[in-house]
Amino acid sequence: MEGRKYKRLSIALGVAASAIIVGAVGCWAVATRTPASPFDGAGEPVVTPALVQHGAYVARAADCVACHSLPNGPAFAGGLKMPTPLGAIYATNITPDPKTGIGAYTLAEFDRALRHGVARDGHRLYPAMPYPSYARMTDGDVRALYVYFKQGVKPVAQANHQSDIPWPLNMRWPLAIWNVLFGGPGEPRPDLAGDPLWSRGAYLVQGPGHCGACHTPRGLAMNEKGLDERSRSYLAGAEIDGWYAPSLRGDHNLGLARWSEDDIAGFLKNGRNGHGVVFGSMTDVVNNSTQFLTEQDAQAIARYLKSLPGDAGRDGAPWRYEVVAFDGPAGDTPGARTYQAKCAFCHGLDGKGQAPWMSPLAGTASSMSRNPASTINITLNGSGRVVAGGVPDAYHMPAFRAQLSDREMAEVISFVRTSWGNQGGEVSAKAVATARAETRPASSVPALLPTQ
Amino acid sequence: MELRINGVTREVDAEPDTPLLWVLRDNLGMTGTKYGCGVAQCGACSVLLDGVVTRSCVTPIDGLAGHEITTIEAIEADPVGARVVAAWVEHQAPQCGYCQSGQVMAATSLLKQNAHPTDDEIGAAMVNLCRCGTYNAIKAAMRDLVGVAKTADADRGAVLATSAVMLGAAGAVLAATRGEGSEAADV
Amino acid sequence: MSEAPIQDLAELQLDERPVNLSRRGFLLRSVGAGAGALVLGVGLNAGSARAQAAKTFAPGTRVPAFLEIRADNTVRLQSPFVEGGQGVFTAMAQIVGEELDIDPSAFVVENAPTGPDYLVVNGVMRITGGSMSVRTSYETMRRLGALARHMLLQAAAPRLGAPVEALSTEPGRVVHKASGRSLSYGELAPHALDLPVPDPTTVSLKSPSQFRWIGKGVARLDVRDKSTGKAVYAIDERVEGMLHAAVQHAPRLGLTVGAVGNEDQVKAMRGVHSIHRLPGAVAVVAERWWDARRAAEALEVDWREPGSDSTLRYMPADFSTEAFAKSLAASQIKVDEAEVKGDVGAAFQAAKTTIEATYHSQFVNHGQLEPPSALAWFHDGLLELWFPNQAPDMFLADVAKRTGLPPEKIKIHSPILGGFFGRHFLYESANPYPQAIELAKATGRPIKLIWSREEEFHRDVLRPMAAVQFRAGLDAEGLPTVVEAISATEGPTEGIAGKRQGLDPTALEGLTNKSYAIANRRIGQRYVKGPAMLGYWRSVGNSMNDFFYECFLDEIADAGKQDPFELRLALLKDNPRLITLLKAAAELSGGWKRGPYKAPDGSRRARGLGMASPFGTETAAIAEVSVEDGRVRVHEVWQAIDPGSIVNPAIIEAQVNSAVALGLSQVLMEEAVYENGLRTSRNYDLYPILPPEQMPRVHVKIIESGAKMGGIGEPGLPAVPPAVANAVSHLTRQRVRSMPLSRLTFKA
Ligand code: FES
Ligand code: FES
Repeated sequence: MEGRKYKRLSIALGVAASAIIVGAVGCWAVATRTPASPFDGAGEPVVTPALVQHGAYVARAADCVACHSLPNGPAFAGGLKMPTPLGAIYATNITPDPKTGIGAYTLAEFDRALRHGVARDGHRLYPAMPYPSYARMTDGDVRALYVYFKQGVKPVAQANHQSDIPWPLNMRWPLAIWNVLFGGPGEPRPDLAGDPLWSRGAYLVQGPGHCGACHTPRGLAMNEKGLDERSRSYLAGAEIDGWYAPSLRGDHNLGLARWSEDDIAGFLKNGRNGHGVVFGSMTDVVNNSTQFLTEQDAQAIARYLKSLPGDAGRDGAPWRYEVVAFDGPAGDTPGARTYQAKCAFCHGLDGKGQAPWMSPLAGTASSMSRNPASTINITLNGSGRVVAGGVPDAYHMPAFRAQLSDREMAEVISFVRTSWGNQGGEVSAKAVATARAETRPASSVPALLPTQ
Repeated sequence: MELRINGVTREVDAEPDTPLLWVLRDNLGMTGTKYGCGVAQCGACSVLLDGVVTRSCVTPIDGLAGHEITTIEAIEADPVGARVVAAWVEHQAPQCGYCQSGQVMAATSLLKQNAHPTDDEIGAAMVNLCRCGTYNAIKAAMRDLVGVAKTADADRGAVLATSAVMLGAAGAVLAATRGEGSEAADV
Repeated sequence: MSEAPIQDLAELQLDERPVNLSRRGFLLRSVGAGAGALVLGVGLNAGSARAQAAKTFAPGTRVPAFLEIRADNTVRLQSPFVEGGQGVFTAMAQIVGEELDIDPSAFVVENAPTGPDYLVVNGVMRITGGSMSVRTSYETMRRLGALARHMLLQAAAPRLGAPVEALSTEPGRVVHKASGRSLSYGELAPHALDLPVPDPTTVSLKSPSQFRWIGKGVARLDVRDKSTGKAVYAIDERVEGMLHAAVQHAPRLGLTVGAVGNEDQVKAMRGVHSIHRLPGAVAVVAERWWDARRAAEALEVDWREPGSDSTLRYMPADFSTEAFAKSLAASQIKVDEAEVKGDVGAAFQAAKTTIEATYHSQFVNHGQLEPPSALAWFHDGLLELWFPNQAPDMFLADVAKRTGLPPEKIKIHSPILGGFFGRHFLYESANPYPQAIELAKATGRPIKLIWSREEEFHRDVLRPMAAVQFRAGLDAEGLPTVVEAISATEGPTEGIAGKRQGLDPTALEGLTNKSYAIANRRIGQRYVKGPAMLGYWRSVGNSMNDFFYECFLDEIADAGKQDPFELRLALLKDNPRLITLLKAAAELSGGWKRGPYKAPDGSRRARGLGMASPFGTETAAIAEVSVEDGRVRVHEVWQAIDPGSIVNPAIIEAQVNSAVALGLSQVLMEEAVYENGLRTSRNYDLYPILPPEQMPRVHVKIIESGAKMGGIGEPGLPAVPPAVANAVSHLTRQRVRSMPLSRLTFKA
């Protein structure tokens, strides 16, 4: 579980640090203001089974379990440790237990936490909670989600874990300042293109799906550099917690230019397609969230992503496959030899893998990106299990950290990243050593996070 | 779907992502190919795919139509395979034997592509695990197969001499000329 | 495929696997005959066996239970010992063939069924383990061959028209020298079977000087089948109508099955026949194992904490091997003394120098390449079982107890083993056959259950962890006068029993009864019961204890400014057998040199030494190491081994190679780690075993000192880890006190 994700740890840190600086010169009034909710003064919503069900679906789309459930714990009772260099923070109990969970929350209070990052007692949430994205969720979805958490989830009395961040760094109010600066629009954006599928996709990606949390590069204050398609940085690829989350734009090498809409939708539903197999922290997202999307919603996301243009300047010359002759000098390097002994049985001597079961390495974003985080991480640690449609994958990547030294690992990764037309470039043994120290092997036991 | 195995076309009813290993073992009853790890780590499941060693536990049958699969059951029908088996017997390579189907396949694949591999090339190709530690016997068999002159010690990897043999210079000479330690012990 | 898969199999057997057909035919025949008749389809037939049943036979003397001599002069031998790579089938053929006077290559050897005839381990029991097979049955099996030969001579006498005394044998024939006439064993066998088995005391055995095959590097009988995929292991067995099963075990031992969240969904998966709750596991039965496996992995099981009445060993959710190692080292549990000599207290008082150190060993897996399996089949009032096992009669008793069936209704087959190293003993919770029996009962179908590699690493019994606190006192010359070793550990035997039953010799073997002349010693154990299931691992206690002792002995040498080789010579000076052995190892390596020195390839290397006295055999090993890229590389291992006397030097050489590989694997890289009560490694990726590129050259010297015959399968191991560690300590000036070395960082 601990290896599961350090998701957003660096974000939390960066936000805390920048917020403190900003906060020092900031305004107390902003920090203590309670944001308004459209549900202020409204009574409890009328509960219908359909509404609970709708809420459950929104919870899937928003991947609430990712942080709020632990693999062997009760659903939504919180506890996930997110280490930051200042000390760990912990996901909270969002079951309807009145004392330790959100049982006492009104809809408006729930809304303020979800879309504005303000808890019932007024303290500010760390933006490990992706409220800048959730801010775009519709009132209807927020209401449904609220009803689901109140009625569809079992209450669990489990006290929240205090963060390990010491005073004064643990002060939350400066986060409000950060919030004002980077919190994003508080309102969902209306249809923009006259294509309902596109609009639905834009909503899912920007709002509940919070794809930008991992895939959008961050600014100095750890803010996402863009929150929608108006920014050319939006979903342009970023490193997060030891993984490189590739571009979801129309970039030929690092993005989705070579993927069709069906490829994207299939990937979200099954965790695999002819271009690759999900790995790293995205495995959890497919397992716990995207596979549960309706076919139409998966298509909508695909439609929207395919509308985001690539950037040839950033992306480099388009990848072209090149043959590696293993019986020539190219095959006579230590990296090539390790590749043949350890990798080729699954990924092929041609680097093309056995799609859709085993990922190609030729031309994939992780092999093309100058950022080697993903290649190093998966080679060290292997991949977690994809559980699609209730069935664990037939094949998964083993971990090689116990078999290859830093040097050998760097050699074979460098080989992969410079072969078959890949442009990722070489990696150093030092980079491998650093990643080795900072990451943990993936579990080979298939597991979905509990939702009930 | 149809698979070509050992020169025979077999009709197989299995999901496309089923590993060839289990189609061989359970659908077709060909149990000479072994299961050791299921994740491409040990090599016990090695078969030849168009003459090239392949780990059948990580080979979905999906992509196999039109390819020629050779398993250990047909190894001696292949002239190179037959030579490999003979060398394995000559060097008494197997112990428990569980890894040896895979070892023989890996060796056959190498020699089919490269009749005279160097030591480094042998090392790079013969990567299957053997818990019984038959690696030195395998290496000796390989060197024999590629035609390296045998010496008493060199890469047999093991020198065997009963005390009786070692006592006499004649014995030592015999050991050197006979080459293989275990034979030397016969004298 | 249009037909049912089973038909497919049957067809295949008819069309393409004649070998298998005959094998199956044999199985069916043996089923029909029942357990008592010991059907051998034999030349020496069951009728005569029955006729003699009234008389009681000492184990290993009723010839028809063991031997069938066929018309083509081949010999089928029922071996009391299971073949698992150690070459015992060949050794048995050599031993029996020697006295029977027929070439061992004429033998077909199989695992004997259960029964009193085969209790030939010291005449009282039957296990394949403890490196005991040959040494405990040598006389018996020779006598068996001699008895059979005698029966053939008797059968030949009237046919050759000569008294038995005038007859002799040549390999495979009875010869009447005077007339030049002879008959082959094959011709005589049908007549020999009508004869009573002679009194064992009336036959005499050959003198070793007459040996034709014993002592020779006779070729193994099984290498061709094992090189061509024809050898059949438990995992390959099948019977008609068989279904396959896979299990998902509780993530921690002791947990019980609660709700299965997605049972209906899993039941609907392709090929799934049924889902079954078992103690601590949920099983899926399917048409094919792959289908069963995927479905078993898909099960979402709510695992429950055990009730207070649970008797199962329980793995708590906070167990970690790292913390356990620390707690072992800090244990204050009272010391049970296993060996005390001299006056330890006074010796420490008088010592010029005192040194102390704490050593650690890790949990290790057997890692035999064949994952465990079991085929269970109820039919005709019988339960037939096929599974890997090292002691069929013990398993028979266990199966009888579990099922309530009388033993004669249970038939245990013991296929050859795809490696064992101690894995296939009777270990509660670590064997799949109880599950297979349950499933066969529940489904009414034959069930073959295979544990995936992941389930195997999860449930395998482990070689214990230990923390040993050493102290030694040295005199003014730098020689040790006193050694104390207190091991905090749970021995494998008491681990399997689950309780303390007095001292467990397997906990301390390798620390106790050392041959070194150190006058004062105190060896003891703190019994620390841990949560992991323990078992026997090749060379058992010696696998770790010789590492501890021999490494600490090098520390003593360094503290006393002695060369470790010279120190050992000094401490063994009154033991000619060990002096010879140690010198032989040194000689084999071209003369003792500790280094460090520069090798021709430019690497800096050093050598280390280790000795051990496991299983009645004496060993000394020297290892040459370098450190490359922070990782230890072992280039050469020289080992001298003195088992007293030998049967097959070629097999001994192979076994030493094998033991060296396992010993190196242990010292270099193996370790089963727990965090939060869970294994961190469940396959060879995160639990690497020695790969070919790390196998050093191995040089073996066999010494036949004439001492009582010792074991072979295990003794080659214990001296290797300390030899490597001592070399590394010397090369790097970093003292190695724990395994595996892959945990440590080396600068040199
Ligand atoms: S079973 Fe295929 S490599 Fe181990
Ligand atoms: S011979 Fe036993 S695993 Fe290789």
